[in-house]
Amino acid sequence: MAELLMHLLPGGAEAAAQSRELTPEGQSDPFDSGIWPLHRKEFLGDPTDWANDPKVVLLGPQAAENAAHVPFILDATALASGGSRVARIVVTIDYSPIPVALTFWPGRALPLLGFGVKYEGSGPLRASAERQDGSWRMAARFVSAIGGGCTTPAAAHGRPDWQEGFGEMRARFWPDTGRLRVWLRHPQDTGLAAGIAAHHLTEMVLSDPAGEIARLELHQPVEENPAFTFQLPPGLTAPLTIRARDTMGYRFDGVVAA
Amino acid sequence: MLAGVAGAAALALPRPAQAQAKARGDYGFAPVQVAPGVWLIEGARQSLSPANGGAIANIALLETPQGAIVIDTGSTARMGAEIRAFADQRLGGVVTTLITHHHPDHWFGNAAFADAPLLSLGATALAARANAQGYSDALYALLGSWMSGTTPVPPAPRIETGRQVIAGRGLRLLPLCGHTQADLAILDEATGTLIAGDLLFLDRAPSLPDADLTLWQASLAQLGALSPAGTIPGHGPYHRSLAALTQTRACLAANDARLAQAAALGLSPAEAMAAGPVPEFARLGANPEEYHRSVSQRWSSYEDRALRKIRAA
Repeated sequence: MAELLMHLLPGGAEAAAQSRELTPEGQSDPFDSGIWPLHRKEFLGDPTDWANDPKVVLLGPQAAENAAHVPFILDATALASGGSRVARIVVTIDYSPIPVALTFWPGRALPLLGFGVKYEGSGPLRASAERQDGSWRMAARFVSAIGGGCTTPAAAHGRPDWQEGFGEMRARFWPDTGRLRVWLRHPQDTGLAAGIAAHHLTEMVLSDPAGEIARLELHQPVEENPAFTFQLPPGLTAPLTIRARDTMGYRFDGVVAA
Repeated sequence: MLAGVAGAAALALPRPAQAQAKARGDYGFAPVQVAPGVWLIEGARQSLSPANGGAIANIALLETPQGAIVIDTGSTARMGAEIRAFADQRLGGVVTTLITHHHPDHWFGNAAFADAPLLSLGATALAARANAQGYSDALYALLGSWMSGTTPVPPAPRIETGRQVIAGRGLRLLPLCGHTQADLAILDEATGTLIAGDLLFLDRAPSLPDADLTLWQASLAQLGALSPAGTIPGHGPYHRSLAALTQTRACLAANDARLAQAAALGLSPAEAMAAGPVPEFARLGANPEEYHRSVSQRWSSYEDRALRKIRAA
């Protein structure tokens, strides 16, 4: 919990504590979703050691004000205290036409990620964290959304000049807290809207001179003009490089001072 | 100070009679005369939900010898019909209807008033038309059967602003903006009552989906200069003071400062939401929902300022 920053806002610590529903422990699905066993099998490799775990904190809205931009942040840093680091985190959305939103390999970063997704209908988003010992620990949050997600054209394509600004990258690193926030202008077309081919990011990699820090594999449900929050380890001093690429071969590189 | 304002406002008038509405399957409005010839149907100080049937916006009716001037018509056909029935039975019919702005909780009851002029500012009419289908879908999803039979009837943009006399009642029609791109405020000359639409909220959190905070604050300054004898906000109670003006101004400034601070500190929007509203305003009606909405709707503009460009397009 210490890695989330709500407490920096007046009243934030108390409000967050009140609003957070604790994830129940154990193997029962709090949302009793028929598709979840199938997703678990297909996207997590049917693990035997899995459980919902309150140590995985997942925050998101109860209702999607804008189904094209539904913000979440997940924090699995408390899992590391069990002695086994988090190797990857898989984010899935029940009953989404494209169920896997992203996979996060935290590497040298902390297992904390902020991101936004599109919602096609109401349902749970799930964050499943795999530890190095092969066990999976999870959290889920239900979002009420009235649709207009993956099958709606990106807002960018409503304009003839959608390429204007394409590829612009904005970022900032906060050394005191280890926060890195990255924003990239990209239409994130799913291929499900009539007449518009799929065009979305496939990868984002953070690195410093010592090599790769963390990596994201990205899919269609990630929001248009996506923004990501990372939590980096203390002591980074060299510039940080952000590299991303998409389905059409475009590459996007940027550098942030650490 | 805020608690004092809120407390005084709550005592000023009886609470709206929402409780009886659901049991009968109608709204059961009990309009209150807040000033001579000025009637108020106060909405629930909540977000749209099946529990309130969508009756969250204030409806004002001004008496004239020829019937009522109706200001806003509510969220559903049934709501419009009940307002119309009150005007017909108690106020001698409807002279004209004025729509303050394009948000659907203020004009989706229009069908009941289509036999008389149904007027708004030009930009309001255009926005109402452009958003009609989306609003309709959203309201059906939020309100369910309360929406039965509701077809959007956008207002016409034939309003003339400035001082107007409608059926003998002198009004000042003020074309303002900030809550949306076009917000009509109405000052009733006979009583000094300001019917402010959603430029003012009292004891109910402001909604910001189309807001421009700079323009909104400028409009509030203009409303303050009118020195009204009483105010009917878009949401919240009538009050014989500038409580709504003071609270709306403070609430907008505090929300703005909070989102700017969150983005500047590197918070993600999900964290900014989880932190909840500014504590001083957390107990306003429709919070924390309106605060959550404001983060969804406004976050990118704050983050634009907090982040730096590291790759050109």
